[in-house]
Amino acid sequence: MSVTTVFDAAGAGHAIVPSGIAVTGVSRSFGAVSALLNATLTVPAGSVTALIGPNGSGKTTLLLMLATLLTPDTGTIRINGHDPVTEPERVRAIMGWMPDTLGSWPSLSARAALQTTGRLYRMTREQAAVRADELIALTDLGDFADRPSRVLSRGQKQRLSLARALVHSPGVLLLDEPASGLDPAARTSLRHLLRRLAGEGSAILVSSHVLAELDEMADAAVYLADGRTASPEQVAAAGASARAWRIRSLDAPALERALATPGVVGALVQILGVDQLGTLVQVENEASAAALLHNLVLSGVPVCDFGPAVGNLEHTFLDLTRSTGPDAEEMK
Amino acid sequence: MTDSRVFLAGLWLIVTLELRQRVRGVSWYVLLGVFMLLVGIVTFLLWLATSAWLSGGGGVFSTIIFFVLLLGTLVSPALSGNSVNGDRDAGTLATTQVTLISTGQIVLGKFLAAWITALAFLAAALPFLIFAVVLGEVSLATIAVSVLVLAAELGVIAAVGVGLSGILTRPLFSIVLTYLVVAALSLGTLIAFALLGTATQQQATSVNYQVVSSTYDEQTGKQSNIVCSTAQTSTHNVPRFDYFWWILAANPYVVVADAAPGSFDDGGHPTDLFGQIAVGVRSAQAPPKLYEENNWCDEAAEGYSGQAYGLGPTPQETYDGAVPSWFIGLTMHLLLGAGTLTWAWRRTRTPALHLPAGSRIA
Repeated sequence: MSVTTVFDAAGAGHAIVPSGIAVTGVSRSFGAVSALLNATLTVPAGSVTALIGPNGSGKTTLLLMLATLLTPDTGTIRINGHDPVTEPERVRAIMGWMPDTLGSWPSLSARAALQTTGRLYRMTREQAAVRADELIALTDLGDFADRPSRVLSRGQKQRLSLARALVHSPGVLLLDEPASGLDPAARTSLRHLLRRLAGEGSAILVSSHVLAELDEMADAAVYLADGRTASPEQVAAAGASARAWRIRSLDAPALERALATPGVVGALVQILGVDQLGTLVQVENEASAAALLHNLVLSGVPVCDFGPAVGNLEHTFLDLTRSTGPDAEEMK
Repeated sequence: MTDSRVFLAGLWLIVTLELRQRVRGVSWYVLLGVFMLLVGIVTFLLWLATSAWLSGGGGVFSTIIFFVLLLGTLVSPALSGNSVNGDRDAGTLATTQVTLISTGQIVLGKFLAAWITALAFLAAALPFLIFAVVLGEVSLATIAVSVLVLAAELGVIAAVGVGLSGILTRPLFSIVLTYLVVAALSLGTLIAFALLGTATQQQATSVNYQVVSSTYDEQTGKQSNIVCSTAQTSTHNVPRFDYFWWILAANPYVVVADAAPGSFDDGGHPTDLFGQIAVGVRSAQAPPKLYEENNWCDEAAEGYSGQAYGLGPTPQETYDGAVPSWFIGLTMHLLLGAGTLTWAWRRTRTPALHLPAGSRIA
């Protein structure tokens, strides 16, 4: 590794036991506005955790505090055991942060920006050049690497921003909306990259609005609403609540007839309507969904698609924001 | 590597990054070219105006130094006045702050880069300064002191610009305020000095005893039988510039002029612009005479020669008899620069305790 010196500096005197991110009871207010209220979460090393919440729920404030840029009013934060308030330098040596704003030095090329960032992390010129080449290949920036970064597109800047967060091979990654502006191919490679980094032992916290995508890569999720993290019980309750399932049949009239037949649809199922992708039904839980599918097949309906209409994260997120009342709705 | 070497390496990295960011491309060299052209024209006209081929290059040299100070103070705020808050707006400040670079290195590095930029103007004026020196009559001490003090003053403007950009959130506002600081020092001090001096007028009294009649002996050239008038009292108002001379000490042009060792001709007159300004400023230190008694009768009895009333002190005597003020002014400026930089450092430090209203840290 070209950047072991950085880690040595950070881990001096400590046995390096990466413990990931631990946030306990953190609050932060700006004047009269509370951005975070008693937020608690953990991101174990070797996992990807999604940070989900409506706009203005405090996601960016939380990430700024984890990134050693902002002090919490109360509560404690540990990044691999280090406190960002009292030992920011140790945290910075092991933490990579990708901000939600696309900031890059406009007159520097992507390659020069990555080399400069490496040198800001105290790499030698040669180490920084080698690492910049690795990251350009990793984030597929090769074709644009030598153009000034002000002519890059949004997605290209986003990839540059990700590469910059990875310069010093950090053990803890904080990514604020990493997928926004990326094309589908880049999103897929981002997902593979994050899974690989987690597999190598990194603790990764990703905030995003594209919940379907987080579904595929996150091991766990933290829900933020009005500055509060949802408790595990709330999350479990929301995840288990009634949700919409989508049914598509090769023979639409047969499906319609079957659903109208008494006995096929159980007491816990409610028909919501038909859209261009199929028929939506509200199902109380997975057991009643299984019973419904069983009955439909027995009735001879050629079912070709049967599944939840929205992903797990989205369902839980929507349910939680609904349950926090009208305030949360207004914020959207 | 030792701590100080790590600090200096990071500092220099910020300086070079800043110079690559801000001082770039063709427009910068066009600006320097236009500046050189202007200095060239000014040098040529001064050469004609001061008959420099006869009187030496003192006048040309001092004017070029002032010209560099003028251009430096006009350009420096625009280049330095948004260096911290402009980066915050562009989103590059926070990404630098999460690396192993400290806020002190960022603020200090931006200041050094702004100073180096301003010094480029001094470097561009160098051929003309050398030309003035070649014309002769410019002492080595004048060259050394005026260039050093000029460089220090350019540093102060750069420090104020970078400092204000760290203190204030909006780039436009910090640039404008830096210009206002420059204007307050360069012009405001003159206006304040003139207004305050003339506003605090005091009554001065003069008592005169006049010769009413006398007999003049043409042989001896003496007067006898002198009949003297009674005391004739008259009053008039005088401004008290001596209370406010220290205001002028805060003027950067005065600092440069007063710091240069005085250079005078045989008649005690200054030979360059520095000397003229320094004499003017230092003469303001002398309090006006509030009571004056002239006994013309005694003068007549002792043999009026005309010489007794003398000419006032020569400019050189005024200069030598007064307190030099440049180090007071320079100290005030250095404190101002260091103070704004320190304040900017405190405001920019992370993890941040407070955010300025309406600002995003990222």
